Amino acid sequence: MEEIFQSVCKTVFYPVLSPLFTPIDHALRLLPDGAASVCGVGLFVTAMAWVGLFLNKDYVNRGRPYKSIWTDLRLWTVISMTPHVIVYFYFR
Amino acid sequence: MEQYIGLHFIDVIIIFVYMAGSLLLGVYCTRFVGSAEDFFIAGKALPFWAIGFSIVTSDIGATDLVAVGGAAYKHGVSAANFDWMGSMPAMVIAAFVFVPYFWRSGVFTIPEFLGRRYNTAVQFINGLIWAVVLFFMLAIMQWLSADKLMGTVLGWNPYLTLWITAGITGIYTFSGGLTAVVFTDVVQLIVMYVGGFGLLALSLWEVGGWSALQEKILAMGPQYKDHFTLLLPHDTTGPFPWTGIVFGLGLVMAVAYMSGNQVIVQRTLGARSEWDAKGGMLFGGLLKAFIPLMVALPGLCAIILVPQLGAENADRAVPEMIRLLMPAGLRGLMFAALFAAMMSHISATLNSTTTIFITDIIGQLRNWFGKAPLAEKTALGMGRVITAALIISTALLAEPIANREQIYVFMQTILSLFQGPLLAILLLGIVWRRATGYGGLAGLVLGVAFCFVLKYTPGLFPSEEPFLFVAWWSFVFALIVTVVVSLLTKPEPEEKLRGMVWSSVVLDEDAQEALKERVAP
Repeated sequence: MEEIFQSVCKTVFYPVLSPLFTPIDHALRLLPDGAASVCGVGLFVTAMAWVGLFLNKDYVNRGRPYKSIWTDLRLWTVISMTPHVIVYFYFR
Repeated sequence: MEQYIGLHFIDVIIIFVYMAGSLLLGVYCTRFVGSAEDFFIAGKALPFWAIGFSIVTSDIGATDLVAVGGAAYKHGVSAANFDWMGSMPAMVIAAFVFVPYFWRSGVFTIPEFLGRRYNTAVQFINGLIWAVVLFFMLAIMQWLSADKLMGTVLGWNPYLTLWITAGITGIYTFSGGLTAVVFTDVVQLIVMYVGGFGLLALSLWEVGGWSALQEKILAMGPQYKDHFTLLLPHDTTGPFPWTGIVFGLGLVMAVAYMSGNQVIVQRTLGARSEWDAKGGMLFGGLLKAFIPLMVALPGLCAIILVPQLGAENADRAVPEMIRLLMPAGLRGLMFAALFAAMMSHISATLNSTTTIFITDIIGQLRNWFGKAPLAEKTALGMGRVITAALIISTALLAEPIANREQIYVFMQTILSLFQGPLLAILLLGIVWRRATGYGGLAGLVLGVAFCFVLKYTPGLFPSEEPFLFVAWWSFVFALIVTVVVSLLTKPEPEEKLRGMVWSSVVLDEDAQEALKERVAP
């Protein structure tokens, strides 16, 4: 059953999809080595910046038990993501 | 190499004391269950720390712990991407985009939320997909843990192990619902951490520290040159190219998993406040970051200490390190940690599957056949009956379902086959008010069909196991289909959208209140 489905897909869909995916694959192969680290670390930094700088402060902390810097979820976001940034920078 | 790892009498006592303790704690939680809300979402009383602990243990099973160690032995630190890149960014997005919606709307399940935003067909199809997948996962995780882990490593009878663990987890999930699941999860993660960090400390001590580990592995030959690189080249022959990890895992699979997987999200639905729901997600992400240290690093140390294992036996890396390094008592604690992971994973999946059956399948069928919604007591009773039926049926079917080659890869692939489309409709439903019921339905159904086409059309992607690319491109495809079909169909009435679209809820207090007041259509 699986083989039949695979053979149908190869005949029907490969000619349509291959011209779409092959150029993308070639373009990705041309990217410099540093692109992986930039994208990886960038994902963490962008998420931190989004929560810390762009989201409404009241929305982020709605329902907090008391007003203290330690209950500010923007700080929690930075604290929980920073070790990841260090790790991805170290193992680049 | 010895076939089985021998346990001292004291180790066996520790494992059984631990299991009996879990059972007692779980049964004790029965006193907090008086209604369906108590059973399914812990009466909305969970603090952030319990949610964080529970998210991690629900996500990490015993076989995952062993598999990550084995993958680190084989592929190096890139195996840790699933707990780092595949968790924290997604958990931040889940915490601040999806969780507030689910929590405020008072739903029990994600399909129920989709039903309110789109239509009941989307709810039913999504619920059915999750129920079937979770049923198979439940059977597979029971058999893999009992046979492939405890059977092949300890030499224990897999049937006996399966029925003991199914009995214990079934009883406390049946009795105490989500409260029992979450509070046993807290204890289980502490046991996992004590055992895991003990193994890490002994492993690093044995190889001479971190610098010595790096030097020794890199000196073993060119095949180990990428063992200390997290993001591998796009054209790597291994299963973790950086493009798949960042786009497929980080942006799609992980976000879909953390925002659309009932097993994970159900903990936040039981939060005592919106802040606890969000904080629980973030705290869970931080706790989860330590998991690779506990298993991936011992897996790397095993390259030095048990080089005779070879790539084909890589999954034995962690058990072999336990046998080699841990004295009696600590070894029992480490195996108790593996049992902890196994039981918490099973109980979490069991409770979530029951919730989906009651809310999205039985509830929706009753709705379509014109019957009244289930009464509170009936829903609670039926929830318990389904819990018992699920654990017994999956234990009975565990071997025939799971005893086949490549089943683990098969399940991961199945998961990747609908997470992209699910995320696409979930995301558009929240951020784009023009998304319609027909758009969501078309995006889900055609998106899943497109996943199968990508999976079964050979030669499209460089990787031999292209599930990360399948997840990414099916997400893009479902996004386009949902947008196009939505634009071609009639917009949803304003009343239906009130409080359901992110931009308005973030800025508008009235819209926030509207979300709380919403009732099922």
